[in-house]
Amino acid sequence: MKIIYRLCTRMGLLSGFIFLFSGCMKDKITKTYQVSTPIYQVLSEYRKAIKSQPATTLTAPGKMSVIGKYIFLSETGKGIHVVDNSNPASPRNISFINIPGNVDMAIKGNTLYADAYGDLVTFDISDPTQVLTKNFSPNVFPDRSIYYWNVPSGGGFNPDSVKVIIGWTYRDTTVDYNPDVNPVFYSGGCANCMSIAATMATAAAPPGTIATNGSTARFSIINNYLYTIVFNSLSAFDISQPYNPSLAGSVQINSQVETIYPFKDRLFVGTSNGVYMYNIQQTPAAPALIGEFVHLRSCDPVIADNEYAYITLNDGSACQGFSNELQIVDIKDMSNPVLIKTYQLKHPEGLSKDGDHLFICDGDAGLKVFNTSDLSNLQLIRQLTDATVSDVIAINGIAIVIGTDGIYEYDYSNLSDIHLISKL
Amino acid sequence: MQKVKSSIWFFCLLLLAGTVSAQQKTVSKSWEFRSINSIGLLEAENGSSFQLQTVNGARYKSWFAGVGVGLDYYRYRSIPMFLDLRKEFGKYPNKVFVYADLGMNFSWVTDKQKQNFYFPDDHFSNGLYSDLGVGYKLSLGKNNGLLISLGYSYKKMTETYQGYIVTYPYPTYLRDFATVTQQQKINYSLNRLSIKFGWQF
Repeated sequence: MKIIYRLCTRMGLLSGFIFLFSGCMKDKITKTYQVSTPIYQVLSEYRKAIKSQPATTLTAPGKMSVIGKYIFLSETGKGIHVVDNSNPASPRNISFINIPGNVDMAIKGNTLYADAYGDLVTFDISDPTQVLTKNFSPNVFPDRSIYYWNVPSGGGFNPDSVKVIIGWTYRDTTVDYNPDVNPVFYSGGCANCMSIAATMATAAAPPGTIATNGSTARFSIINNYLYTIVFNSLSAFDISQPYNPSLAGSVQINSQVETIYPFKDRLFVGTSNGVYMYNIQQTPAAPALIGEFVHLRSCDPVIADNEYAYITLNDGSACQGFSNELQIVDIKDMSNPVLIKTYQLKHPEGLSKDGDHLFICDGDAGLKVFNTSDLSNLQLIRQLTDATVSDVIAINGIAIVIGTDGIYEYDYSNLSDIHLISKL
Repeated sequence: MQKVKSSIWFFCLLLLAGTVSAQQKTVSKSWEFRSINSIGLLEAENGSSFQLQTVNGARYKSWFAGVGVGLDYYRYRSIPMFLDLRKEFGKYPNKVFVYADLGMNFSWVTDKQKQNFYFPDDHFSNGLYSDLGVGYKLSLGKNNGLLISLGYSYKKMTETYQGYIVTYPYPTYLRDFATVTQQQKINYSLNRLSIKFGWQF
């Protein structure tokens, strides 16, 4: 009894002490990150600088477009590399088109369409080593037109008064941080969607006329229209006059759009919470929504053929997703798409299909090749782990793959012997 | 709930290990195995959190040295593993003691805590653990005693993840640029009051 009394007495004293002094105990929490400072150039100078330059080293490969013997590969935010791929075993980096602010592109014939921040720029690529800038369509992607934000409305401005960000300087900084007040910063973007693209060999138009773009591209051409997606809108540009694209119409999408993929007269728009299917046959300038397939919130490249859509979901943080899987959806009736089967993967991004074979970039698990003859039981026939990969175009027996450190090309003409033939 | 059960089982296992080692009798008349097992609270800016520990080692006269392991739920769950040194004062059976712990803190973040992560590649690395304090032992017989202690406890953890460069005022377009992601780091230096109630045998 005495012991219990003593114990209680001391516990009481302890409680008093804790009450008095626990408030003095502070957590010291700091956050270390980089602060980026923009480097500016006036708009007139910036536009002059958009031109061909000698080839430069690939550092941050982004999206790619394949036309004829050439690969056009974006260096995210900086421009486009032109690669002569006439010999896939020995591709040559032949020139670089300097386009600060560039992310996406599409090519029809000898005309290249590329974004430069909020502008759409048209190039003549008849000579890929000496690309000519033909036209600027200013401010057609308003949410990326940062340098127009301070331009007075009502048209007309002096290009020498507008500043464009052409680069960044970075410095490390450490600041006090309160995780209870400021949760980890979320930008609303999709980190894993920034450097991925893929495609099917079966593009909408004959090879050589319209370049093959990727499943995560945001530019796509069908016939005489260039379709672009930005944030939550799908826009159609009339390119019947190749060097003078004109905005013909746009539709709003109630979701954060990620990718656009053309197949015949249909457009498949991958968004953060589903795939939207549009028909452009009747009104190409105003795509008509004909169906949608909703999935968990995630980044989602998509490709399709006549009967099925193949959707990869990945846990791109900014898409707020936690799924890493392939979904196969029956789209024979687009107004009523039906999920056939889901396959778990590691971190799937771009994908491409050639015949009965599906190529999936599965992050650091490498390139995976599946036999799709039985969709309810896909057979993995090869896994190539040479690099962390994000993008693939499988075309004519060659799989062109974007890795974090360059382009890898695989010969799959003999499916029992898929092998690496080059790396650039 | 499952995690709490796992933790209790984990602690029971440690306790059992301690009991077994304590029952391995005396090394010599001067050196004796002791096991100290405690539960307690960690009090600081982020509120109260549960902790439990088991320390097993040898006593020599008024000194004790041992190896400890525990569970620490303050902010993010972790497993401290440390060396423990303590000294008792006084001639009476009930004694005042001081102790010092120094070791490593191994992160073992709960699934629930992970759910709050925005970034899937978010992970924690290990850091320093220490605990310094004073206590009182109420003797319950020859080698048994109830312990109450109060101390200052410190644990360090580092969280790293692929975050975004702050994009203000242009949040939408920067997502497209290769440099938009970067490894960011949060250093947690956590200072707590450590209150423990234990049983020594």
